[in-house]
Amino acid sequence: MRRKSVGLFFLAVAPVFAHHSFSMFDMSQKITLTGTVTGFEWTNPHAYIEIDVADEKGAVKHWSIEMGSPSILQQSGWKFSSVKKGDKPTMVINPLKSGQSGGFLDHITLPDGRVLGNGPGRGPQPQP
Amino acid sequence: MTSKSMSHMNGKMIALALCSVALLQAQSNRPDLSGVWGIYRGGRGADPKFAAPAAGQLVLKPEYAKPYEARRAAEAEALKRGEQLANGSVQCVPYGVPGMMSIAIYPIEIIQTPRQVTIIGEAFSEVRRVYMDQPQAKIEDVAPGYYGRSVGHWEADALVVDTIGIKPAVGYRGTPHSDQMRITERFKFVAADILHDQITIEDPIVLEKPFTYTVAYRRMPNYEMVEFVCDNNREYVDEKGVVRLKLRDH
Repeated sequence: MRRKSVGLFFLAVAPVFAHHSFSMFDMSQKITLTGTVTGFEWTNPHAYIEIDVADEKGAVKHWSIEMGSPSILQQSGWKFSSVKKGDKPTMVINPLKSGQSGGFLDHITLPDGRVLGNGPGRGPQPQP
Repeated sequence: MTSKSMSHMNGKMIALALCSVALLQAQSNRPDLSGVWGIYRGGRGADPKFAAPAAGQLVLKPEYAKPYEARRAAEAEALKRGEQLANGSVQCVPYGVPGMMSIAIYPIEIIQTPRQVTIIGEAFSEVRRVYMDQPQAKIEDVAPGYYGRSVGHWEADALVVDTIGIKPAVGYRGTPHSDQMRITERFKFVAADILHDQITIEDPIVLEKPFTYTVAYRRMPNYEMVEFVCDNNREYVDEKGVVRLKLRDH
């Protein structure tokens, strides 16, 4: 039997994300959330901000916002104490495609006015 | 002890001491890879002299190319639906060798001593140990795992590392391999603070020919490695093999 070799092009770039691709989030859509932080999880493989967001009628909806890992965030200027329970930040996120109240952070404006991104290509970039 | 045997002993000791001095000198002339290294990415703002050269062509044997392409097609299909098929890293399984040498923007740390070079990957806290100037074992004598067994030696100013014993389930960038895979790495400085790791994969069962790619690193002099314990994995794989996110309600 004749063996046919198949050449495949291999991408020389490292995967951008260690843990997963972000296909579950709608990267074409950005929404802004302002609310009260109920939890900040500085954990691996991802950090999370849990936040209660009230709509214009005052009805509160809870959101889970995923971020990069502490390593990635630290390289974007974050600290484990950057966000605290009770803080009222404003976040720009890519929502889940499923329509559930979850999303992936693009950037956050902290109560003191500082803006922090979420790794390469998302929000303000750290100085190399 | 006679004076003759004394002088013989002394001669031996002097020879030994000279050998040690020569060895130490050789070691002190070696490039020092110790430190923290970040991935040096090509593209905008990067110096093309320092960026990793393009990877070689990956040529799989037909019986491996077919399922590989089928998997890639299934992944692309899932992506179109806004879904992601499960893989090891989604379940927080580490990358192993050689995948751990280039994960996103996670740095690696190298600790170089004359007898052992230790490489720590920040993502998933992976650890490789390279035993210097030791003979390599036979592939069939190494328990297949994530890091296998690595031995190293110097060829001029290049650290050459030979690794065997990577189990087939430990893929690198989705590429299949067999338990016969052999990885040869050449670590070499291309500038004072730019290091290249040229990685060549040989696999007589899966590959038609050896496959080579290079990872470029830049020194991160003041960086302190961040711990990485995967204890809050909120992604899970549903019954269709698709990755989902666990949400909280408060």
